[in-house]
Amino acid sequence: MAHQDSGEKVTVTIDGIPLQVPKGTLLVEAAKLAGIEIPVYCYHTKLGPAGLCRICLVEIEGMPKLQIACNTPVTDGMVVRTQGDKVTTGRATVLELFLVNHPLDCPICDKGGECDLQDYAMAYGRGTSDLADPKERKPKAVDLGPTIVLDEERCIVCQRCVRFDALIPGERRLVVKERGHRDIIATATGEPYRHHFTGNVTELCPVGALTSKTYRFLSRPWDLQRTETSCVHCSVGCRQYADVRYGTLLRTMSVPGDDAISDGWLCDRGRYNIGFLSARERLTQPLHRRDGAFVAIDWEEALSLWADALRAVLKEKGAAGVGVIGGGRLLNEEAYLLQHLFRSLGIRNIDWRAGRQRQATPGNDGGDLAALERAQAIVVLGASPGERAPVLDLRIRKAVMRNGARLVRIAPLEAPPPIPATDVATVEEAMAAIGGAGRIAIVWDGVDVELARRLVAACDAQGAERFTYITGEQGNARGAEAMGMLPSSGPGYASLPEGGLSTDAMLRAAADGAIGALAIFGANPLLRYPDAALVRAALERVPFVAVADLFLTETARQATLVLPAAHAYEKRGTIINATGSLLPVEPAVAAPDGVLSDLEIAIGLAQQLGVALPSEEEVHRAVVAAAAAMPELTLGDVLFGDAARARDVAADDRRNGESAAAIRLAVETALFTGGGTCAHDERLAALRARQRVRLAVDDARVLGVRDGDRVDIVVGERALRDLPVAVDASLRAGTAVLIDGIPDRPANLFLPGEVVQMTRARAAVAVEA
Amino acid sequence: MPVVKVLTAGIGEADLREIATYEARGGYRQWKRAVRELSPADVLKAVDASGLRGRGGAGFPTGRKWQFLPASDAPRYLVCNCDEAEPGTFKDHMLLEENPHAVLEGILLGAYGIASHHAFIYIRGEFKRGYQIFSRALEQARAVGYVGTNVLGTGYDLEVTVHRGAGAYICGEETGLLNSLEGKRGEPRLKPPFPAVAGLYGMPTVVNNVETLAYIVPILERGPEWFASVGTERSKGYKIVSVSGHVQRPGNYEVPMGTPVRELVEIAGGLRPGRTLKAIQPGGGSSACIFEEHLDLPYDYESMAKAGSMLGSGAFVVFDDTTDFVKAAHNLVRFFAHESCGQCTPCREGGHWLERVLERFVHGRGLPGDLEMLHRVSGSITGLNLCALGDSIEPFLKSVLRRFPEQFEARVIGRNGVAAR
Repeated sequence: MAHQDSGEKVTVTIDGIPLQVPKGTLLVEAAKLAGIEIPVYCYHTKLGPAGLCRICLVEIEGMPKLQIACNTPVTDGMVVRTQGDKVTTGRATVLELFLVNHPLDCPICDKGGECDLQDYAMAYGRGTSDLADPKERKPKAVDLGPTIVLDEERCIVCQRCVRFDALIPGERRLVVKERGHRDIIATATGEPYRHHFTGNVTELCPVGALTSKTYRFLSRPWDLQRTETSCVHCSVGCRQYADVRYGTLLRTMSVPGDDAISDGWLCDRGRYNIGFLSARERLTQPLHRRDGAFVAIDWEEALSLWADALRAVLKEKGAAGVGVIGGGRLLNEEAYLLQHLFRSLGIRNIDWRAGRQRQATPGNDGGDLAALERAQAIVVLGASPGERAPVLDLRIRKAVMRNGARLVRIAPLEAPPPIPATDVATVEEAMAAIGGAGRIAIVWDGVDVELARRLVAACDAQGAERFTYITGEQGNARGAEAMGMLPSSGPGYASLPEGGLSTDAMLRAAADGAIGALAIFGANPLLRYPDAALVRAALERVPFVAVADLFLTETARQATLVLPAAHAYEKRGTIINATGSLLPVEPAVAAPDGVLSDLEIAIGLAQQLGVALPSEEEVHRAVVAAAAAMPELTLGDVLFGDAARARDVAADDRRNGESAAAIRLAVETALFTGGGTCAHDERLAALRARQRVRLAVDDARVLGVRDGDRVDIVVGERALRDLPVAVDASLRAGTAVLIDGIPDRPANLFLPGEVVQMTRARAAVAVEA
Repeated sequence: MPVVKVLTAGIGEADLREIATYEARGGYRQWKRAVRELSPADVLKAVDASGLRGRGGAGFPTGRKWQFLPASDAPRYLVCNCDEAEPGTFKDHMLLEENPHAVLEGILLGAYGIASHHAFIYIRGEFKRGYQIFSRALEQARAVGYVGTNVLGTGYDLEVTVHRGAGAYICGEETGLLNSLEGKRGEPRLKPPFPAVAGLYGMPTVVNNVETLAYIVPILERGPEWFASVGTERSKGYKIVSVSGHVQRPGNYEVPMGTPVRELVEIAGGLRPGRTLKAIQPGGGSSACIFEEHLDLPYDYESMAKAGSMLGSGAFVVFDDTTDFVKAAHNLVRFFAHESCGQCTPCREGGHWLERVLERFVHGRGLPGDLEMLHRVSGSITGLNLCALGDSIEPFLKSVLRRFPEQFEARVIGRNGVAAR
């Protein structure tokens, strides 16, 4: 960053090496091009120069004093020396001073072996010190927040963490407190350091001052086996290193140079949500329901039971009696093979959509992540990308903070990002707020099809260049669509004239008794589909439900047959991220004994059923071809078959122009939710979202409740009881907001926009009485 | 005796804090003339021609500094630096309290000279009385239309905002000041960009010292030639020198630039009877000492630099033969270590380390090797820092270490009679 490339080149000589670089290039970057290392602590390519640490001193001909390479743009004819007595002495002095109060506790420091202070002290330090006084004592093992521990004594006050917090996510929580040698890093407010990107500071920290709670005292870098893979926790698909020791995934790290996808950052879910892999609750044996209870069986028996059931249903009800749900959490190869297998049997009821999302592929107006940065206006429609695709949200923040883009959110439910944003209620207001922006990015959650269509039409009416993005509810949602996990399109979005049933239609048919066998792969509709009652009715009615998952999820608990499946960290294949990039997934660890990947499950089932599957090579070619296909569609297009949804009460009301003066429920998205990887990672306990109901001030007054009080929400038989209240001044009266995907208090008990009865919780009333 | 009365004229004789008194003595005439008859370029030309150099410490030519402002339609700001905190300096404090209207008139002229419509004065937190006095003066001037929108019906708008600091030496550094003025932590900024390009709120900004701005009033009144005719070849005009230390009448003395050092000591009443001069710190806590062999040097920027020191802000501290230079050095190093903002390593770590070693010396617990360490570390941290604070630690220490090594040697364990226990 920090320089504008005008195309003009200048010549600079560094250690005798002449070099042509764009005018304005910082010396520290120019040296890299010449293959010369200039040590840095405070400087970081993504954060720019700060000029604090003073380790990057170089000698520039014609200048009497040593200069810092990090803030010196090269000029034509500049002659630079990064070696020599003067530089050596300067660097050695700075290093000596860093170590004056440094505890030198390398033997117990997590950073040991990958510490810039250690490395530079070895390379450029004096080796001895004249220090004769005791070292300063500062706080150690400071609990900075749910993710990070701070050791003040190791801190060299480079302020990378502070600058990251201000410049990249714009959170501005970290500050330097005190002054001079008493400097400490802390949050400005004294509250725990908490947002969705905190873990990045542990990577930025050049020393061992900021360490991750999940990795403390676990390993040495040289003991780690590193695998480069793609994160599948969300639809951004950040490149990441998975570092493994003795078969356990201990940490994930960003991949330097991954500018196209992650921009060098990871969110805390992608970084820290890895403990589930070795969770005790992990399924390691197929389970078969017998007389109402699960019995562990072996794979051969499981696959044969399943095949028998399928054959029976096919015979009895035909292919229409079989349903397949899932795909957004599978790899492309698995999704491809599964749809191939089921379609070979004539089964057409295939749909990846198991939650609220209805579309995952934006079509040929889809933008890449870099284009998002260049947008003049960004309109967010639906779930906050900050909760659903955090690293994509960093691009939005970059566009706003660095490039002055205007951010407009239509009827948002989530809290605003820490950057300027305009919240509006309608598409018309959004267009007014955008002004005449020529490049508009639309970031949609794929849920409200009608609003998306209207927004696209409004942008087109303005003649704006449009880039669209759909954040996926599941990491490989777009891959699932491309691979044909849709009722009316096959691999590569090939239209299937004889479409099958969508998830919604399947669930209805199932509840009516028309489905004899249902297979659910990596999906938890009982927690995520916006009508839990329908899902429950369907699961209860279908005679044979097979669920493949890592854990005994809400949905799996209702299954006839539960198949222990592998996670992406345990298998090889590809995914397609929200912006259409085909990304490799590599196995970092082996799956536990008894666990199969969905690919292996598909192959096993195919063998049982006598279906011939394409070879690995053929699958690979098909996946690449399908990933390259670009459907002619835009946001809100229903190309994927019946996208009709469970009764959307609010939409009914909108159409009818009616608005009852009652409290309606809305559902917001939060990053740390779900009944699978998040629920079964004990180290995420402090990060997991907890259910509460956000209430408008007026509604709270009417109910007689205050912040922290508890309420019961009831509709007929369905009830969520004893929910804490959070009064929210920004909320419109008449709307109450629950968080989606909380296992112990699932919001999908209620329909979107449903009018509910809310009363003070009986327990609370009793206490008061 | 060459003591003159220019900015100090009337102080002690009349209550210059009253606008009527100030005006009766010719005050605000130059502001009225400038805003009605002169163009900003005229004011700049006069300042440039006068040879006026910054009185805050760096001595940078004021007219040149103004010319660094890029031509643009962006708002531009004048900031008056009244964070006077250099050890030994107390001239701005006096001007603020005793001649606030001259300070204000200087600010108005300076702002006009750079065609700014908003000026700020950043007043050191400890100057509460000065803040009150200046604020009252500002209200008086505003009441008669010298400040605000449409100054004196000319159509020129000029707002002046008074800001009190919170008491940090580093906020006297111009970019530390700007950060503090913006409500941020008072830390110097990385340069470039310089304030002339991106200063207050990212806009082109000139930061000038109180005394510097105040001198613009007499420069316009009597002409730049009058100012330039006094002083030495490159150090023009007058200077208020804050003389303190071992003299009989410490105080602020306004003198022509180039007044011999010896005379400055005499002006302040000379040494106490029976005492001999050991050293003079001629430019504030940041400057190296000069000694008796320098007594006949003219007190100007060039001569002080040649003598290995600097004129700085004009804080002139005299040390006689009763001085414990170990304590003096410790006192100053402690000051700088305490005031280090902590941003950059050499200043943050080096200053504190030197302070701790010197503290041992004060208590007679110096160690063999410490003297070499003091020399080496103080020397090596100089020139490595982001701002001038880190480079201010060495000069005094080094100059007295060299001149009075016996005072330090005597505090080394085993050489001081106290001996190692």
